[in-house]
Amino acid sequence: MQALTANDVAGLFAALEKTFSDQREFLIALDGKVGDSDLGITMSKSFTAAHAAVVAAADASVGKLFGRAGLSIAKAAPSTMGTLTATGFMRGGKAVEAATTIGTAEMAAFWRAYRDGVQERGKAKVGDKTVLDVLDPIAVSLEASAAAGKPLDEALAEAAQAASEALEATRLLVAQHGKAAAFQEKSRGLQDAGATVAVFIVETMANFVKAG
Amino acid sequence: MKKFLNAPADFVDEMLEGIYAAHPDVTYTNDDKRCYVTAHPKKGKVGIATGGGSGHLPLFLGYVGDGMLDGCAVGGVFQSPSSDQMYEVTKYIDQGAGVLYIYGNYTGDIINFDMAAEMADVDGIRVRSVVGNDDAASSIVGEEHKRRGVAGIFFVYKAAGAAAAEGLDLDEVVRLADKARLNTRTIGVALSSCVVPEVGHATFSIGDDEMEIGMGIHGEPGISRKKLAPADAVVDEMMERIFGEQDYGAGGEVAVLVNGLGGTPREELYILYRRVSQLFAERSVKVRHVWIGEFATAMEMAGASISVLKLDGELARLMAAPARTPFFTHVER
Repeated sequence: MQALTANDVAGLFAALEKTFSDQREFLIALDGKVGDSDLGITMSKSFTAAHAAVVAAADASVGKLFGRAGLSIAKAAPSTMGTLTATGFMRGGKAVEAATTIGTAEMAAFWRAYRDGVQERGKAKVGDKTVLDVLDPIAVSLEASAAAGKPLDEALAEAAQAASEALEATRLLVAQHGKAAAFQEKSRGLQDAGATVAVFIVETMANFVKAG
Repeated sequence: MKKFLNAPADFVDEMLEGIYAAHPDVTYTNDDKRCYVTAHPKKGKVGIATGGGSGHLPLFLGYVGDGMLDGCAVGGVFQSPSSDQMYEVTKYIDQGAGVLYIYGNYTGDIINFDMAAEMADVDGIRVRSVVGNDDAASSIVGEEHKRRGVAGIFFVYKAAGAAAAEGLDLDEVVRLADKARLNTRTIGVALSSCVVPEVGHATFSIGDDEMEIGMGIHGEPGISRKKLAPADAVVDEMMERIFGEQDYGAGGEVAVLVNGLGGTPREELYILYRRVSQLFAERSVKVRHVWIGEFATAMEMAGASISVLKLDGELARLMAAPARTPFFTHVER
Protein backbone atom coordinates (compact mmCIF):
# COMPACT_ATOMS: atom_id res chain seq x y z
CA MET A 1 0.00 0.00 0.00
CA GLN A 2 1.09 3.58 -0.62
CA ALA A 3 -0.72 5.15 2.32
CA LEU A 4 -2.18 4.14 5.66
CA THR A 5 -5.77 5.07 6.42
CA ALA A 6 -7.74 4.80 9.64
CA ASN A 7 -9.11 1.47 8.41
CA ASP A 8 -5.60 -0.02 8.38
CA VAL A 9 -4.70 0.91 11.94
CA ALA A 10 -6.33 -2.07 13.67
CA GLY A 11 -4.47 -4.43 11.32
CA LEU A 12 -1.19 -2.65 11.97
CA PHE A 13 -1.60 -2.97 15.73
CA ALA A 14 -2.60 -6.61 15.39
CA ALA A 15 0.75 -7.09 13.63
CA LEU A 16 2.58 -5.14 16.37
CA GLU A 17 0.88 -7.23 19.05
CA LYS A 18 2.02 -10.38 17.26
CA THR A 19 5.60 -9.09 16.87
CA PHE A 20 5.96 -8.34 20.56
CA SER A 21 4.29 -11.58 21.57
CA ASP A 22 6.71 -13.51 19.30
CA GLN A 23 9.73 -11.53 20.59
CA ARG A 24 8.70 -11.61 24.26
CA GLU A 25 11.27 -14.20 25.39
CA PHE A 26 14.01 -12.69 23.20
CA LEU A 27 13.50 -9.24 24.80
CA ILE A 28 13.35 -10.73 28.30
CA ALA A 29 16.71 -12.41 27.72
CA LEU A 30 18.25 -9.32 26.09
CA ASP A 31 17.10 -6.99 28.88
CA GLY A 32 18.21 -9.54 31.48
CA LYS A 33 21.86 -9.01 30.54
CA VAL A 34 22.03 -5.44 31.89
CA GLY A 35 18.50 -4.61 33.02
CA ASP A 36 15.75 -6.20 35.06
CA SER A 37 14.28 -8.57 32.45
CA ASP A 38 10.87 -6.93 32.36
CA LEU A 39 11.11 -5.41 28.87
CA GLY A 40 9.62 -8.37 27.03
CA ILE A 41 6.68 -8.46 29.41
CA THR A 42 6.17 -4.70 29.33
CA MET A 43 6.20 -4.48 25.54
CA SER A 44 3.95 -7.47 25.02
CA LYS A 45 1.47 -6.00 27.50
CA SER A 46 1.80 -2.58 25.83
CA PHE A 47 0.86 -3.70 22.34
CA THR A 48 -1.89 -6.03 23.50
CA ALA A 49 -3.43 -2.98 25.19
CA ALA A 50 -2.75 -0.76 22.17
CA HIS A 51 -4.41 -3.21 19.77
CA ALA A 52 -7.48 -3.46 21.99
CA ALA A 53 -7.62 0.35 22.29
CA VAL A 54 -7.55 1.05 18.54
CA VAL A 55 -10.14 -1.66 17.88
CA ALA A 56 -12.43 -0.09 20.48
CA ALA A 57 -11.80 3.52 19.44
CA ALA A 58 -14.25 5.48 17.35
CA ASP A 59 -11.71 8.13 16.30
CA ALA A 60 -11.60 8.84 12.62
CA SER A 61 -8.00 9.82 11.90
CA VAL A 62 -4.87 7.68 11.93
CA GLY A 63 -3.18 10.24 14.15
CA LYS A 64 -5.98 10.12 16.73
CA LEU A 65 -5.82 6.33 16.72
CA PHE A 66 -2.05 6.41 17.25
CA GLY A 67 -2.70 8.80 20.16
CA ARG A 68 -5.24 6.34 21.62
CA ALA A 69 -2.66 3.57 21.27
CA GLY A 70 -0.11 5.69 23.12
CA LEU A 71 -2.58 6.50 25.89
CA SER A 72 -3.38 2.82 26.39
CA ILE A 73 0.33 1.95 26.55
CA ALA A 74 0.85 4.64 29.21
CA LYS A 75 -1.90 3.05 31.27
CA ALA A 76 -0.86 -0.55 30.69
CA ALA A 77 2.90 -0.18 31.12
CA PRO A 78 4.05 2.63 33.42
CA SER A 79 7.71 1.56 33.16
CA THR A 80 10.42 3.65 31.53
CA MET A 81 10.17 2.01 28.11
CA GLY A 82 6.37 1.86 28.32
CA THR A 83 6.22 5.57 29.11
CA LEU A 84 8.65 6.45 26.31
CA THR A 85 6.78 4.31 23.77
CA ALA A 86 3.49 5.84 24.91
CA THR A 87 4.97 9.31 24.54
CA GLY A 88 6.22 8.42 21.05
CA PHE A 89 2.82 7.30 19.82
CA MET A 90 0.99 10.21 21.45
CA ARG A 91 3.39 12.83 20.07
CA GLY A 92 3.61 11.15 16.68
CA GLY A 93 -0.15 10.81 16.51
CA LYS A 94 -0.65 14.47 17.39
CA ALA A 95 1.77 15.51 14.65
CA VAL A 96 -0.38 13.82 11.98
CA GLU A 97 -3.74 14.41 13.64
CA ALA A 98 -5.12 16.40 10.72
CA ALA A 99 -4.08 13.92 8.00
CA THR A 100 -6.65 11.48 6.62
CA THR A 101 -3.99 9.28 5.01
CA ILE A 102 -0.41 8.59 6.04
CA GLY A 103 2.01 8.73 3.13
CA THR A 104 5.79 9.13 3.31
CA ALA A 105 5.71 12.78 4.41
CA GLU A 106 3.23 12.07 7.21
CA MET A 107 5.17 8.97 8.28
CA ALA A 108 8.30 11.14 8.50
CA ALA A 109 6.41 13.69 10.59
CA PHE A 110 5.12 10.89 12.85
CA TRP A 111 8.62 9.51 13.53
CA ARG A 112 10.17 12.96 13.92
CA ALA A 113 7.63 13.79 16.64
CA TYR A 114 8.04 10.31 18.15
CA ARG A 115 11.81 10.82 18.30
CA ASP A 116 11.61 14.34 19.71
CA GLY A 117 9.03 13.31 22.32
CA VAL A 118 11.19 10.44 23.52
CA GLN A 119 14.22 12.69 23.72
CA GLU A 120 12.36 15.34 25.66
CA ARG A 121 10.84 12.91 28.14
CA GLY A 122 13.85 10.60 28.49
CA LYS A 123 16.47 13.38 28.59
CA ALA A 124 18.95 11.23 26.63
CA LYS A 125 20.94 12.35 23.61
CA VAL A 126 22.05 10.50 20.49
CA GLY A 127 25.06 8.32 21.34
CA ASP A 128 23.97 7.49 24.89
CA LYS A 129 23.09 3.92 23.86
CA THR A 130 19.32 4.28 24.12
CA VAL A 131 16.28 3.94 21.89
CA LEU A 132 17.13 7.39 20.59
CA ASP A 133 20.08 5.97 18.66
CA VAL A 134 17.58 4.09 16.48
CA LEU A 135 14.77 6.66 16.47
CA ASP A 136 17.04 9.37 15.12
CA PRO A 137 18.09 7.49 11.93
CA ILE A 138 14.48 6.38 11.36
CA ALA A 139 13.32 10.01 11.36
CA VAL A 140 16.25 11.17 9.24
CA SER A 141 15.77 8.37 6.69
CA LEU A 142 12.04 9.02 6.33
CA GLU A 143 12.59 12.75 5.96
CA ALA A 144 15.11 12.12 3.17
CA SER A 145 12.64 9.75 1.48
CA ALA A 146 9.84 12.30 1.80
CA ALA A 147 12.06 14.96 0.22
CA ALA A 148 12.96 12.57 -2.60
CA GLY A 149 9.28 11.73 -3.16
CA LYS A 150 9.69 8.01 -2.46
CA PRO A 151 6.59 5.86 -1.96
CA LEU A 152 5.67 4.74 1.55
CA ASP A 153 6.60 1.06 1.19
CA GLU A 154 10.07 1.88 -0.14
CA ALA A 155 10.58 4.64 2.45
CA LEU A 156 9.63 2.39 5.37
CA ALA A 157 11.82 -0.45 4.06
CA GLU A 158 14.78 1.94 3.96
CA ALA A 159 13.97 3.31 7.42
CA ALA A 160 13.81 -0.25 8.80
CA GLN A 161 17.17 -0.98 7.21
CA ALA A 162 18.66 2.21 8.70
CA ALA A 163 17.19 1.28 12.09
CA SER A 164 18.67 -2.19 11.97
CA GLU A 165 22.13 -0.85 11.09
CA ALA A 166 21.87 1.76 13.85
CA LEU A 167 20.91 -0.97 16.32
CA GLU A 168 24.00 -2.93 15.34
CA ALA A 169 26.07 0.21 15.94
CA THR A 170 24.72 0.53 19.52
CA ARG A 171 26.92 -2.47 20.37
CA LEU A 172 29.92 -0.14 20.26
CA LEU A 173 28.42 2.32 22.72
CA VAL A 174 28.54 2.44 26.51
CA ALA A 175 25.21 2.79 28.34
CA GLN A 176 24.64 6.18 30.04
CA HIS A 177 21.05 5.76 31.26
CA GLY A 178 18.87 3.43 33.28
CA LYS A 179 19.93 0.27 35.02
CA ALA A 180 22.32 -0.58 32.15
CA ALA A 181 24.42 2.49 33.01
CA ALA A 182 25.67 0.72 36.14
CA PHE A 183 27.32 -1.86 33.88
CA GLN A 184 29.33 0.78 32.01
CA GLU A 185 32.06 -0.97 29.96
CA LYS A 186 30.29 -4.33 30.32
CA SER A 187 27.41 -2.92 28.27
CA ARG A 188 29.77 -2.56 25.31
CA GLY A 189 29.23 -5.32 22.76
CA LEU A 190 25.54 -5.69 23.59
CA GLN A 191 22.78 -4.26 21.42
CA ASP A 192 20.60 -1.87 23.40
CA ALA A 193 17.31 -3.44 24.48
CA GLY A 194 15.21 -0.29 24.18
CA ALA A 195 16.63 0.42 20.73
CA THR A 196 15.67 -3.12 19.73
CA VAL A 197 12.05 -2.30 20.53
CA ALA A 198 12.10 0.64 18.10
CA VAL A 199 13.56 -1.58 15.37
CA PHE A 200 10.75 -4.10 15.88
CA ILE A 201 8.14 -1.34 15.58
CA VAL A 202 9.48 0.14 12.35
CA GLU A 203 10.13 -3.31 10.82
CA THR A 204 6.57 -4.37 11.61
CA MET A 205 5.27 -1.19 10.02
CA ALA A 206 7.41 -1.76 6.93
CA ASN A 207 6.26 -5.37 6.57
CA PHE A 208 2.63 -4.42 7.12
CA VAL A 209 2.72 -1.74 4.42
CA LYS A 210 4.63 -4.01 2.03
CA ALA A 211 2.15 -6.88 2.49
CA GLY A 212 -0.85 -4.55 2.15
CA MET B 1 9.81 4.12 65.15
CA LYS B 2 6.78 4.89 67.30
CA LYS B 3 3.70 5.34 65.13
CA PHE B 4 0.06 4.33 65.01
CA LEU B 5 0.18 1.74 62.26
CA ASN B 6 -1.20 -1.64 61.32
CA ALA B 7 1.43 -2.37 58.70
CA PRO B 8 3.85 0.16 57.19
CA ALA B 9 2.82 -0.90 53.66
CA ASP B 10 -0.82 0.00 54.42
CA PHE B 11 -0.02 3.46 55.78
CA VAL B 12 -1.31 5.49 52.82
CA ASP B 13 -4.32 3.40 51.89
CA GLU B 14 -5.57 3.10 55.47
CA MET B 15 -5.13 6.84 55.96
CA LEU B 16 -7.29 7.33 52.86
CA GLU B 17 -9.91 4.87 54.11
CA GLY B 18 -10.16 6.94 57.28
CA ILE B 19 -10.54 10.17 55.33
CA TYR B 20 -13.26 8.75 53.08
CA ALA B 21 -15.07 7.37 56.14
CA ALA B 22 -14.94 10.78 57.84
CA HIS B 23 -15.67 13.09 54.91
CA PRO B 24 -18.50 12.29 52.48
CA ASP B 25 -17.68 15.41 50.43
CA VAL B 26 -14.70 13.61 48.91
CA THR B 27 -14.54 10.34 47.03
CA TYR B 28 -12.33 8.50 44.54
CA THR B 29 -12.47 7.63 40.88
CA ASN B 30 -11.38 4.69 38.70
CA ASP B 31 -11.83 2.37 41.67
CA ASP B 32 -8.47 3.63 42.97
CA LYS B 33 -8.44 5.20 46.46
CA ARG B 34 -5.41 7.23 45.45
CA CYS B 35 -7.44 9.06 42.77
CA TYR B 36 -9.00 11.48 45.26
CA VAL B 37 -11.71 13.83 43.98
CA THR B 38 -14.53 16.07 45.13
CA ALA B 39 -17.90 14.35 45.37
CA HIS B 40 -19.53 17.50 43.95
CA PRO B 41 -17.88 18.53 40.66
CA LYS B 42 -19.40 21.69 39.17
CA LYS B 43 -20.36 21.75 35.48
CA GLY B 44 -18.55 24.40 33.50
CA LYS B 45 -16.02 25.26 36.20
CA VAL B 46 -12.28 25.00 35.52
CA GLY B 47 -11.09 21.86 37.29
CA ILE B 48 -8.01 22.13 39.51
CA ALA B 49 -5.90 19.11 40.32
CA THR B 50 -2.89 18.65 42.48
CA GLY B 51 -0.86 15.66 43.55
CA GLY B 52 2.26 14.55 45.27
CA GLY B 53 3.60 12.21 47.88
CA SER B 54 1.85 11.41 51.14
CA GLY B 55 3.27 12.42 54.50
CA HIS B 56 2.45 16.13 54.24
CA LEU B 57 -1.16 16.45 55.42
CA PRO B 58 -3.07 18.60 54.95
CA LEU B 59 -0.98 18.95 51.76
CA PHE B 60 -1.95 17.86 49.12
CA LEU B 61 -5.37 16.25 49.24
CA GLY B 62 -6.56 18.40 52.15
CA TYR B 63 -7.26 21.31 49.83
CA VAL B 64 -9.84 19.48 47.71
CA GLY B 65 -13.17 21.15 48.42
CA ASP B 66 -15.32 24.22 47.76
CA GLY B 67 -13.40 27.31 46.67
CA MET B 68 -10.16 25.34 46.41
CA LEU B 69 -9.27 22.20 44.39
CA ASP B 70 -11.23 19.43 42.69
CA GLY B 71 -8.89 16.44 42.74
CA CYS B 72 -5.60 15.06 43.94
CA ALA B 73 -3.46 12.11 42.86
CA VAL B 74 -2.05 10.59 46.03
CA GLY B 75 1.41 9.01 46.06
CA GLY B 76 3.19 6.84 48.61
CA VAL B 77 5.01 8.60 51.43
CA PHE B 78 7.28 11.22 49.79
CA GLN B 79 6.71 9.55 46.37
CA SER B 80 5.07 10.87 43.25
CA PRO B 81 1.75 9.32 42.20
CA SER B 82 1.67 7.79 38.70
CA SER B 83 0.78 9.62 35.51
CA ASP B 84 -2.18 7.27 35.08
CA GLN B 85 -3.58 8.26 38.48
CA MET B 86 -3.20 11.93 37.57
CA TYR B 87 -4.88 11.27 34.22
CA GLU B 88 -7.84 9.53 35.88
CA VAL B 89 -8.26 12.45 38.29
CA THR B 90 -8.08 14.81 35.31
CA LYS B 91 -10.81 12.96 33.42
CA TYR B 92 -13.11 13.06 36.43
CA ILE B 93 -12.65 16.73 37.29
CA ASP B 94 -12.82 18.08 33.75
CA GLN B 95 -16.23 19.69 33.54
CA GLY B 96 -15.81 21.08 30.06
CA ALA B 97 -13.72 24.13 30.95
CA GLY B 98 -10.30 22.47 31.10
CA VAL B 99 -8.04 21.55 33.98
CA LEU B 100 -5.22 23.31 35.81
CA TYR B 101 -2.48 21.29 37.52
CA ILE B 102 -0.85 22.93 40.53
CA TYR B 103 1.96 20.95 42.10
CA GLY B 104 5.40 21.33 43.62
CA ASN B 105 8.66 21.53 41.70
CA TYR B 106 9.96 17.96 42.07
CA THR B 107 11.33 15.87 39.18
CA GLY B 108 9.04 12.86 39.58
CA ASP B 109 5.92 15.00 39.84
CA ILE B 110 6.89 17.06 36.79
CA ILE B 111 7.46 13.99 34.59
CA ASN B 112 4.20 12.37 35.67
CA PHE B 113 2.04 15.50 35.44
CA ASP B 114 3.46 16.31 31.99
CA MET B 115 2.68 12.77 30.88
CA ALA B 116 -0.83 12.96 32.35
CA ALA B 117 -1.45 16.23 30.51
CA GLU B 118 -0.45 14.55 27.27
CA MET B 119 -2.75 11.60 27.99
CA ALA B 120 -5.62 14.00 28.71
CA ASP B 121 -4.90 15.78 25.43
CA VAL B 122 -5.71 12.53 23.58
CA ASP B 123 -9.18 12.84 25.12
CA GLY B 124 -9.39 16.47 24.05
CA ILE B 125 -9.08 17.85 27.60
CA ARG B 126 -7.18 21.12 27.78
CA VAL B 127 -4.63 21.09 30.60
CA ARG B 128 -2.27 23.77 31.84
CA SER B 129 0.21 23.65 34.72
CA VAL B 130 1.53 25.98 37.38
CA VAL B 131 4.49 24.55 39.28
CA GLY B 132 5.04 25.83 42.83
CA ASN B 133 8.60 26.95 43.59
CA ASP B 134 8.28 29.14 46.66
CA ASP B 135 11.16 27.78 48.78
CA ALA B 136 13.58 30.72 48.82
CA ALA B 137 16.23 28.61 50.56
CA SER B 138 16.52 25.98 47.84
CA SER B 139 18.17 28.07 45.14
CA ILE B 140 19.58 31.53 44.66
CA VAL B 141 17.81 34.54 43.13
CA GLY B 142 18.01 34.15 39.35
CA GLU B 143 17.60 30.39 39.59
CA GLU B 144 14.08 30.39 40.99
CA HIS B 145 13.07 27.64 38.51
CA LYS B 146 15.19 25.22 40.57
CA ARG B 147 13.40 26.01 43.81
CA ARG B 148 11.27 23.40 45.51
CA GLY B 149 7.59 23.87 46.15
CA VAL B 150 6.69 23.95 49.85
CA ALA B 151 3.96 25.41 52.08
CA GLY B 152 3.51 28.57 49.98
CA ILE B 153 1.70 26.51 47.35
CA PHE B 154 -1.27 27.05 49.67
CA PHE B 155 -1.53 30.64 48.34
CA VAL B 156 -1.49 29.35 44.76
CA TYR B 157 -4.29 26.89 45.56
CA LYS B 158 -6.29 29.60 47.29
CA ALA B 159 -5.91 32.09 44.42
CA ALA B 160 -6.68 29.53 41.70
CA GLY B 161 -9.50 27.92 43.65
CA ALA B 162 -11.22 31.25 44.28
CA ALA B 163 -10.73 32.32 40.66
CA ALA B 164 -12.23 29.08 39.34
CA ALA B 165 -15.14 29.39 41.79
CA GLU B 166 -15.82 32.88 40.39
CA GLY B 167 -16.35 31.20 37.02
CA LEU B 168 -13.25 32.61 35.31
CA ASP B 169 -11.90 30.68 32.31
CA LEU B 170 -8.79 28.49 32.25
CA ASP B 171 -6.40 31.16 30.94
CA GLU B 172 -7.52 33.63 33.59
CA VAL B 173 -7.28 31.05 36.39
CA VAL B 174 -3.77 30.20 35.20
CA ARG B 175 -2.80 33.88 35.13
CA LEU B 176 -3.95 34.43 38.71
CA ALA B 177 -2.41 31.19 40.00
CA ASP B 178 0.86 32.16 38.40
CA LYS B 179 0.67 35.65 39.87
CA ALA B 180 0.24 34.14 43.33
CA ARG B 181 3.17 31.81 42.65
CA LEU B 182 5.47 34.62 41.56
CA ASN B 183 4.61 36.71 44.61
CA THR B 184 5.11 34.00 47.23
CA ARG B 185 8.28 33.32 49.21
CA THR B 186 8.76 30.67 51.88
CA ILE B 187 11.57 29.91 54.27
CA GLY B 188 11.59 26.97 56.64
CA VAL B 189 13.53 25.79 59.64
CA ALA B 190 13.76 22.22 60.93
CA LEU B 191 14.42 21.20 64.52
CA SER B 192 14.13 17.43 64.20
CA SER B 193 13.95 14.69 61.59
CA CYS B 194 11.06 12.54 60.38
CA VAL B 195 10.44 8.82 59.90
CA VAL B 196 9.03 7.33 56.69
CA PRO B 197 6.95 4.31 57.84
CA GLU B 198 8.37 1.84 55.33
CA VAL B 199 11.91 2.98 56.18
CA GLY B 200 11.42 2.82 59.94
CA HIS B 201 14.18 5.16 61.08
CA ALA B 202 14.91 8.89 60.94
CA THR B 203 15.55 10.36 57.46
CA PHE B 204 18.52 12.38 58.77
CA SER B 205 20.05 13.23 62.12
CA ILE B 206 20.23 16.61 63.78
CA GLY B 207 21.58 17.45 67.24
CA ASP B 208 19.17 18.12 70.14
CA ASP B 209 20.44 21.70 70.31
CA GLU B 210 20.59 22.34 66.55
CA MET B 211 18.35 23.82 63.86
CA GLU B 212 18.66 23.75 60.09
CA ILE B 213 17.46 26.75 58.17
CA GLY B 214 16.07 26.08 54.72
CA MET B 215 15.56 22.35 55.06
CA GLY B 216 13.08 20.87 52.58
CA ILE B 217 9.88 19.04 53.50
CA HIS B 218 11.47 15.66 52.74
CA GLY B 219 14.62 16.45 54.67
CA GLU B 220 16.53 17.95 51.72
CA PRO B 221 19.59 19.85 52.97
CA GLY B 222 19.09 23.49 53.87
CA ILE B 223 21.43 26.46 53.80
CA SER B 224 22.84 26.47 57.31
CA ARG B 225 22.88 24.32 60.41
CA LYS B 226 23.62 25.99 63.72
CA LYS B 227 22.79 26.11 67.42
CA LEU B 228 19.12 26.78 68.04
CA ALA B 229 18.70 30.49 68.79
CA PRO B 230 15.88 32.34 70.63
CA ALA B 231 12.65 32.43 68.59
CA ASP B 232 12.91 36.13 67.73
CA ALA B 233 16.42 35.67 66.36
CA VAL B 234 15.30 32.66 64.30
CA VAL B 235 12.44 34.66 62.80
CA ASP B 236 14.74 37.62 62.13
CA GLU B 237 17.11 35.39 60.20
CA MET B 238 14.31 33.75 58.23
CA MET B 239 12.55 37.00 57.42
CA GLU B 240 15.78 38.68 56.40
CA ARG B 241 15.91 36.34 53.41
CA ILE B 242 12.31 37.06 52.50
CA PHE B 243 12.70 40.82 52.87
CA GLY B 244 15.86 40.55 50.79
CA GLU B 245 13.88 39.14 47.88
CA GLN B 246 10.64 41.04 47.92
CA ASP B 247 9.94 44.68 48.58
CA TYR B 248 6.55 44.97 50.26
CA GLY B 249 6.74 48.76 50.43
CA ALA B 250 5.39 51.00 53.22
CA GLY B 251 1.61 50.78 53.03
CA GLY B 252 1.77 47.48 51.16
CA GLU B 253 -0.29 44.45 52.07
CA VAL B 254 0.63 40.82 52.53
CA ALA B 255 -0.85 37.47 53.48
CA VAL B 256 1.23 35.37 55.89
CA LEU B 257 1.21 31.63 56.51
CA VAL B 258 3.02 30.30 59.57
CA ASN B 259 3.16 26.55 59.08
CA GLY B 260 4.08 23.83 61.51
CA LEU B 261 6.02 20.92 60.00
CA GLY B 262 4.22 18.26 62.04
CA GLY B 263 5.97 18.10 65.41
CA THR B 264 5.74 21.70 66.59
CA PRO B 265 2.88 22.91 68.82
CA ARG B 266 0.71 25.83 67.76
CA GLU B 267 1.87 27.76 70.83
CA GLU B 268 5.33 27.96 69.29
CA LEU B 269 3.92 28.98 65.91
CA TYR B 270 2.24 31.95 67.59
CA ILE B 271 5.51 32.86 69.31
CA LEU B 272 7.04 32.95 65.82
CA TYR B 273 4.16 34.99 64.40
CA ARG B 274 4.48 37.52 67.23
CA ARG B 275 7.87 38.46 65.86
CA VAL B 276 6.75 38.28 62.21
CA SER B 277 3.98 40.77 62.95
CA GLN B 278 6.44 43.12 64.66
CA LEU B 279 8.74 43.06 61.62
CA PHE B 280 5.89 43.93 59.26
CA ALA B 281 4.65 46.67 61.61
CA GLU B 282 8.15 48.20 61.67
CA ARG B 283 7.98 48.38 57.87
CA SER B 284 4.42 49.76 57.88
CA VAL B 285 3.26 46.71 55.91
CA LYS B 286 -0.27 45.53 56.63
CA VAL B 287 -0.82 41.82 57.21
CA ARG B 288 -4.25 41.53 55.60
CA HIS B 289 -4.57 37.75 56.02
CA VAL B 290 -2.78 35.42 58.37
CA TRP B 291 -3.12 31.67 58.66
CA ILE B 292 -1.32 29.83 61.48
CA GLY B 293 -1.33 26.06 61.89
CA GLU B 294 -0.36 22.98 59.91
CA PHE B 295 -0.65 23.42 56.14
CA ALA B 296 2.26 21.39 54.74
CA THR B 297 3.98 18.97 57.07
CA ALA B 298 6.83 16.47 56.89
CA MET B 299 5.49 13.61 59.02
CA GLU B 300 6.55 14.28 62.62
CA MET B 301 9.30 16.78 61.81
CA ALA B 302 9.55 19.59 64.38
CA GLY B 303 10.00 22.97 62.78
CA ALA B 304 8.12 25.68 60.96
CA SER B 305 8.00 27.66 57.78
CA ILE B 306 6.94 31.20 57.07
CA SER B 307 5.35 32.04 53.72
CA VAL B 308 4.57 35.55 52.57
CA LEU B 309 2.35 36.51 49.64
CA LYS B 310 2.62 40.06 48.39
CA LEU B 311 -0.92 41.23 47.72
CA ASP B 312 -2.48 43.47 45.15
CA GLY B 313 -6.19 44.15 44.67
CA GLU B 314 -7.07 40.96 42.83
CA LEU B 315 -4.92 38.66 44.97
CA ALA B 316 -6.44 40.23 48.11
CA ARG B 317 -9.92 39.52 46.69
CA LEU B 318 -9.03 35.87 46.01
CA MET B 319 -7.51 35.37 49.47
CA ALA B 320 -10.66 36.84 51.05
CA ALA B 321 -13.04 34.49 49.20
CA PRO B 322 -14.68 31.67 51.18
CA ALA B 323 -13.38 28.11 51.10
CA ARG B 324 -14.43 24.88 52.73
CA THR B 325 -12.61 21.55 52.57
CA PRO B 326 -12.31 18.71 55.10
CA PHE B 327 -9.00 20.22 56.25
CA PHE B 328 -9.39 23.95 55.67
CA THR B 329 -12.22 26.41 56.18
CA HIS B 330 -12.10 30.10 55.44
CA VAL B 331 -15.02 32.42 56.09
CA GLU B 332 -15.15 35.34 53.66
CA ARG B 333 -13.50 38.39 55.13
